[in-house]
Amino acid sequence: MNSCMEIETREMLPDLLHGKLDTSTRTRVEKHVAGCEECREELEVLRTVKAAAIFAPTIDVNRVVGHIAPYAKITPEVEAPARSRVVSWLVAASFLLVIAGGGSLLVVQQKDAVTPYATATPSQRANIIPRPVTVPSAGANDVAAVERPVVHTLALASGVETLSDNDLRQLMTDMDSFNVLPASEPEPVMNVDNGDNSDQGTR
Amino acid sequence: MTQSPEIRREETDMELIQRWKAGESRAATRLVGRHSQALARFAASIGERDGVEELVQDTFVRAFAALDSFKGESSFRTWLFSIERRLMLDRRRAERRTRETVPVEESDSVSEYGALDSLIADEAQERVRRSLEALSPTQREVFTLRVQQGMSYKEIAEVVGSTEGATRVHYHNAIQRVKEFLRDE
Repeated sequence: MNSCMEIETREMLPDLLHGKLDTSTRTRVEKHVAGCEECREELEVLRTVKAAAIFAPTIDVNRVVGHIAPYAKITPEVEAPARSRVVSWLVAASFLLVIAGGGSLLVVQQKDAVTPYATATPSQRANIIPRPVTVPSAGANDVAAVERPVVHTLALASGVETLSDNDLRQLMTDMDSFNVLPASEPEPVMNVDNGDNSDQGTR
Repeated sequence: MTQSPEIRREETDMELIQRWKAGESRAATRLVGRHSQALARFAASIGERDGVEELVQDTFVRAFAALDSFKGESSFRTWLFSIERRLMLDRRRAERRTRETVPVEESDSVSEYGALDSLIADEAQERVRRSLEALSPTQREVFTLRVQQGMSYKEIAEVVGSTEGATRVHYHNAIQRVKEFLRDE
């Protein structure tokens, strides 16, 4: 058994033998070895073992080099099909995404094709058919005809946020005049046809 | 050949590898010259009987053919040792298969040192040889890599495919057995 408890130092003996220690560590290890009989004995054993390895056949370097094939970059032929398959799937998935995205965009654009009145230019407003809306009322104003354009857009895409202050004020006023329940049967809506947008006037 | 030793020392293994990849065949000569003798010593030390030179040659041929897979995570020397070790194991397996009619005996491992008999003349070295025979194959590998090659435990672990802690234990057991053997002789 080992009586020397300087395990860390003893572990460095092979490094000392091969000159792999820095100056300060080497000095420390050598100082310990000088005072430790067991480490001295172990170092001697290591020296003998290291010296015994000198007797190995001499290698003819040129002969070895003569057998080395010139460098050729390795291309992973086996893995190539697997990779291309993955790429194919990715391309197919991307294609589907593009189609789905394009389709969605088209639907949204079609919905937005009807220009909201508030955001329309004067020339666009001229093409929007003004249609009288009859709102039954139980009060003094029995019929409130509001000449507002009929905008066939969904609520979320109606562009309410783009209304001007005056438009909003008008809208609030109109809404205040609505009754929850109509007092009488609504009158048929009069179809106003200006000639070129006849289909938008009917409800 | 014409360059001074100072210039050679400046070139790292990785630099030589890059130069060889760039088409400079002399870089291969430098690399082989730098590591071949250590590989021969290791093979002889752990009992390669004959064909040490052929083994070293095969090691370099394999290494250079697979150089693209060497990423430099370990040292080039460590990588070479691990290739050589695998080649030695393959050889021994192949030898066992060819001799399968003859049962493998304990004396086989002893006879692996036959090649060294003629090489080691000194009596003290003969005793070392016998003490190494007393070690298990793994202990012998770890011990020779640590003592003869001066490798760290981390490098040895990479060569033998083990952990740093395990190689440390193998080394300590080996040095104890070698010392006891030499003391009892």
